[in-house]
Amino acid sequence: MERVVTINLNGNPYQLEEPAYDALRAYITRAEAALAANPDKAEIIRDLEQAIADKCASRLSASKTVISAAEMQRVLDEMGPVQGDGHDSAEAKINEEGPSYGAHRRLYRIKDRSVIAGVCSGIGAYFDLDPNVIRLLFVLFALFTSGFGILVYIVLMFAIPSAHTSEEWAAAHGVVLNAQEIIDRARREADRLAEDSRKAWSRERRAWRRQWRHYGAGQWGGIFVHDAPPPAPGKPVGYVTRMFAGLFALVFSLITAVLLIAFLYAFFSLLSTGAVLGWAPPDDIPLWLAVLLLAIAYAAISSPFAALRRSSYATVSGSSAYGAGADGLITLVLVGVAVWLSYLYWPEARELIQSVPEALRGIGESLRDSRASLAP
Amino acid sequence: MPNPDEQFAGLRKGLLEFAILKVVSGRTVYVGDILAALASTPFATQEGTLYPLLSRLRREELVDYQWVESGAGPPRKYYQLTAKGAARLDELAAYWRHLTDTLEQLGR
Repeated sequence: MERVVTINLNGNPYQLEEPAYDALRAYITRAEAALAANPDKAEIIRDLEQAIADKCASRLSASKTVISAAEMQRVLDEMGPVQGDGHDSAEAKINEEGPSYGAHRRLYRIKDRSVIAGVCSGIGAYFDLDPNVIRLLFVLFALFTSGFGILVYIVLMFAIPSAHTSEEWAAAHGVVLNAQEIIDRARREADRLAEDSRKAWSRERRAWRRQWRHYGAGQWGGIFVHDAPPPAPGKPVGYVTRMFAGLFALVFSLITAVLLIAFLYAFFSLLSTGAVLGWAPPDDIPLWLAVLLLAIAYAAISSPFAALRRSSYATVSGSSAYGAGADGLITLVLVGVAVWLSYLYWPEARELIQSVPEALRGIGESLRDSRASLAP
Repeated sequence: MPNPDEQFAGLRKGLLEFAILKVVSGRTVYVGDILAALASTPFATQEGTLYPLLSRLRREELVDYQWVESGAGPPRKYYQLTAKGAARLDELAAYWRHLTDTLEQLGR
């Protein structure tokens, strides 16, 4: 039994067994790579898809509506490999400079073999070394630099995009991608998902569908869904863009964390001492109003940075759904780490933090007092 | 004895453009016709090779195509030779004769 994928070839639906779909995708991907520098690439791909559709149609009837993997293999054998046209010297020249999968390596995080975020397995793949060697080096580096290595790891975690697609995975390893490898990898991913799905079948299936739809509309250049508009946040972005988005995500997370710390500091300092950095609000402004104004000022200053942070995360992950909660969580973790470190190493900060429970008790008492004074 | 079609693949590859121009020169044809015309010849080829080649010939303005509705299925591209393509075909034919004549003369 095979799952069936419905695809749109030049306006007509075709149902393929999943391995047939994988093989077709691999064929089209290779064709696109071979025609990478061809100015008529889109048109040729359309012609090829139409030819494949015609061949599929001749194998279908009212009582047979699904193309099997073996049939797709015969169709693709009939089509023959797509050959880039070597005749044009200009084209050949562009071809050399143009992007080709696996021709040069790229540093990606590889999450499916990761311990933390896949930084070390990505570096290992890049240098053809056992990721455990890189991990060991990283741990030693962190130990000898008294923790600075951890900071480096965190920065790399944000700066290096993770490999989502087969091409990125291949670029991470520097292997030249061929159809069989794409299919094998797709199989591996399918197996992994199938295993998970035994636990949460429906959830996984939705995710799987979403993933394919994402590939169909975005990553694969809309090969099969010419008419469907690509989902705006899911638009594929380049390596450099993702790297910058990752760094911006880190920078904006730090900015929002610093703003949150400044707000918390001002808030508790105001409550416990009635002043911020030695500046006290004028006597005619009551404390509650000062706190309210502080909160409004904080919200006004931090919200644009929070929005930038969120969009950076969305760009990195390629979907808006992922960034929704995670980006705020990372800021909170940063704040927590900063508070903890300053508690450990900064006596004044420790004093302030220790005064927090008292300040909170103070609020409670003043509330009780006001209620008591209001009571008859 | 090895199959000459396999032995002289490089030679045929260089002449495929010539063969296709020749097929297109006869009448307006679609890709299925070209494949069928070449299938029984040493120039037998496949869509994967033909579409990129036709695309280049069109870019060089040697052939042109028109969409023609087909009885069954979507419209097809019917290719025909342009004036420039006809000139190129004449050149190729003349050059080919020159080559074969030269080869005949050599070694005598």
